[in-house]
Amino acid sequence: MFDIPIPAFLDPVLSTFREAPLAIRLAMIFIIVAVLVTLLAYFSILRSRFLGYQRRKRLDYLLPKIDNLIIDEIMAHPEVAAGTPASQIQLNLDGFQELPLHKKWARQATTNRIIHFRRNVRGNAGHLLRNLYIQLELNKDTMKQMKSPKWARKVRALTEFIDMDIPVADVTILPLTNSRNRELRAAARHAYIKLSKNEPFKFFDVVTDPLLMWDQVELFRIITTTEDISIPNFARWVTYSSNKSVVSFCLKLIVHYNQLPAVPAVIKLLDTKDHYLRADAINCLGKLKAPDVEDRLVSMYSSQPLQCQIEILKAVGRISSGRQVDFLKQEFLHSTNFDLRKAAAKSLVRNDQAARGVVQELLETANRENLLILKHCMNPLIKY
Amino acid sequence: MEGLLSWLGRAYENTLFVYGLVLLLVYALLALLSMIAIRRYTRKSTQHQLDILASSPMAPGLTILAPAFNEGLTIISNVRSLLTLNYPRYEIIIINDGSTDNTMEQLISEFRMVAVDFAHNARILTQPVRKIYKSTDPAYSSLMVIDKVNGKSKADAVNAGINIATFNYFVCTDVDCILHKDTLLELVLPVMQEEKKRVIAVGATLRIANSSDFDEGVLIRMRPPRQLLPRFQEVEYIRSFVLGKMGWSYINCVPNVSGGLGLFDKEVATRCGGYDHSSFGEDMELLTRMCRYAHDNQIDYAVRYIPRTLCWTEGPASVKIFSRQRTRWARGLAQLMHAHFSMFLNPRYGKMGLIVFPFNFFFELLAPLVEFSGIIIYIYLAVTGQVNWPYALLLLLFVYTYAVMITTISILWDQLSFGYYKKWWEVAYLCLTPFMEFLLYHPLIVFFSLRGYYYFLTGKKSTWGNMQRQGFGKKKT
Amino acid sequence: MSKILLVEDDEIMPKIVARILPSAEYELDHVSNGKEAFEKLESTNYGYDLIITDIMMPYANGFEILSRVKSQPRPIPVIIVSNAGNEDMIMEGFKLGADDFLKKPIIPAELLIRVKRLLMKNK
Repeated sequence: MFDIPIPAFLDPVLSTFREAPLAIRLAMIFIIVAVLVTLLAYFSILRSRFLGYQRRKRLDYLLPKIDNLIIDEIMAHPEVAAGTPASQIQLNLDGFQELPLHKKWARQATTNRIIHFRRNVRGNAGHLLRNLYIQLELNKDTMKQMKSPKWARKVRALTEFIDMDIPVADVTILPLTNSRNRELRAAARHAYIKLSKNEPFKFFDVVTDPLLMWDQVELFRIITTTEDISIPNFARWVTYSSNKSVVSFCLKLIVHYNQLPAVPAVIKLLDTKDHYLRADAINCLGKLKAPDVEDRLVSMYSSQPLQCQIEILKAVGRISSGRQVDFLKQEFLHSTNFDLRKAAAKSLVRNDQAARGVVQELLETANRENLLILKHCMNPLIKY
Repeated sequence: MEGLLSWLGRAYENTLFVYGLVLLLVYALLALLSMIAIRRYTRKSTQHQLDILASSPMAPGLTILAPAFNEGLTIISNVRSLLTLNYPRYEIIIINDGSTDNTMEQLISEFRMVAVDFAHNARILTQPVRKIYKSTDPAYSSLMVIDKVNGKSKADAVNAGINIATFNYFVCTDVDCILHKDTLLELVLPVMQEEKKRVIAVGATLRIANSSDFDEGVLIRMRPPRQLLPRFQEVEYIRSFVLGKMGWSYINCVPNVSGGLGLFDKEVATRCGGYDHSSFGEDMELLTRMCRYAHDNQIDYAVRYIPRTLCWTEGPASVKIFSRQRTRWARGLAQLMHAHFSMFLNPRYGKMGLIVFPFNFFFELLAPLVEFSGIIIYIYLAVTGQVNWPYALLLLLFVYTYAVMITTISILWDQLSFGYYKKWWEVAYLCLTPFMEFLLYHPLIVFFSLRGYYYFLTGKKSTWGNMQRQGFGKKKT
Repeated sequence: MSKILLVEDDEIMPKIVARILPSAEYELDHVSNGKEAFEKLESTNYGYDLIITDIMMPYANGFEILSRVKSQPRPIPVIIVSNAGNEDMIMEGFKLGADDFLKKPIIPAELLIRVKRLLMKNK
């Protein structure tokens, strides 16, 4: 077979190996494997720590320089303070040319730093930071990352484009919005809303899979912080979308933008069969303080599941027209469910002017438990 | 007779062989799965995500529950550190479980607390709540203290907190645990990012706090414990969380979310009755019951783990206290297996019944018994001169190197993804620990486990492990 | 010359603020957490004309700083600069007596204007 000279001291080991039963042979092989793997692990640990150390050292040297350059060139630029639009300001890039920007890690570090700055300042200075990013051609690296076959890289590139507000062609983003990878799909949709100049909200029409709670957090941030986005009337999707998560998310946006014209659409949603969605709709109406829906809510109250009943009581408290004090009092006194009584009490207390007499009367006549609930709701130290 | 004995001997030998082989394979598999799970986590999670959530009005509300029993030494600094966690919407409920020291007085005076009329609907039965306190200083408006009659268990205390919790998810911790400032953000993310399943619990890596530097409840610098016993525990925790729990998490088979830190779905936890105050391992018991409840009610659930270390806890530094802790854990495990044995290999409980439960039964519960019986037989064989020493030593060496390898791999995963500890030689120091673990630490665990089983069978009375703390509130200089 | 205390745990923000507020008119002290903020306040006997603070920080959050500062015989005006988007949290800040709130990312000129206005008001 192989003609490798074997040192003499290994002879007894080899002969033991040849003579041993299978289990022992396996054990011998695995001992060697285990020792090798352990050594490899030690090596990897040392290597990763060394690389980490090097990275930190390089950054410790580079970051203060980048910071100073950005501060001097952008934050302290005399024309920014004077209010000259960012597009007309000439940047002096001499200082940046002295950074080791021919190295990839240095370019990445600079990009990250610019993004970090943009998370702290906006307005003209923010635009100028974006100009800096483009003039240093840092977006080219990101463009390259977009072409990587690895989804994590693409996500990172998209996030960077969103942060830097760099327009990307629809043809690049649209195919990714249907990717099989959830993270990539989500990032592409966010990028589309933020960066597409055509119809940013188009994807609300087409999305079929549910928006996760996390997607909603990201979408909400992007929609509410993008400066030149035109906010549509979200009632459109409340009426027409068959995707429940989109409807529920639009209800939150309606509240955020206080879109009173959407109220009729939301009222129509009260007929939906899905009681989670119905609860969301009631919640939305309450937060909008929609006038004249109280009667409707109160009339449907008795046929609702617990969750919707609680939302109705809360909504009546939020609207606080004072017209439903009797209803709240009835619920508070006669409901058998603790949570309903508490919600009713809270709303009574919120109906401040109109319910003052009733609350006073209840305080004097209520039984022990109801008294405790009332006091709980009246105590300003207790939030919920 | 002679024939039967030798047949029995061979059967035992073969069973043991298969047993050992399966165990080794499972660990190799966990090493692989945990690697995939950790890589997925590190790719997906960025600090930016956490920042977005921290500034979002849409972050779900969370309730922190921290039971305290005679924690006067550290209570103030630890509550302060809970008050400064990064999260936009949360409340803190400290449950004073009838402390006999000045825990309650300290809380009242430091945070200007007053008793309030608080109406709540106790869905879980607990020892009576005496009073509920809120702060008059709006800066502490998220803080609430429950003063209750001692229920002789952490379970009873946490249940009282669950009854009062406002939000749909609660995070359960110990007052003596120190949390990373991003804990709440990290724990809630898996819930928000899960596609189809309902996440009923999330856990994260715990570590031993003993030699690390803390200042008023804030971690300054991580160090491997200087004393040997806590260092063994640190290595064990890394193996069990980073390699074990992460591997299980990848296939949605997490057996336990540690009592030191975990996020739970309040609805499911309440509906299945909350923590069991008669259990000695109430954390694992609750999770088992929650999973069982989910199965029984057709909830497609998931339990997730995070490889990042978010919680530091003081590990017992003396063998005496350590023995108390481990005996208790073993007893809890025996209790749990006994109470839920109907799930064993029961296909109705899916992975829980077919993977998690059998694994725990064979390789957690039975392992100490198997090892102990092995040693007895070995001694018998040695005395009667039937041992083939070279082979025996070889097999021993094999198990030894394998164990060291698995532990080293888990340290490697931890290092590759997070690079904890400041100096490389601190990691080297940690890497040397597994070499002694097999000979010094492991026998202790086997012994304490057997003692726990014995107490379980005889029903010895025990109070809740009230360990003596050194307290790490102030920076040691 | 107005003395301003900036409490902020981000590493870049202090550099930006230092540049927004010209050093000829403002003396800016920076601390990076609640504990240092209290130390600084106590050692100077609350000798600041204005405090700019974040909300979520280690040791003591912005609310505690606010509460402590506003309970002094001579309350110092406080501007909260934070990325908090939760309305409850902002309301909480105002309830505790915050004089102004700016959401990150900030517009530099706006910070300068608000600082000037508050200092004028409290002269």
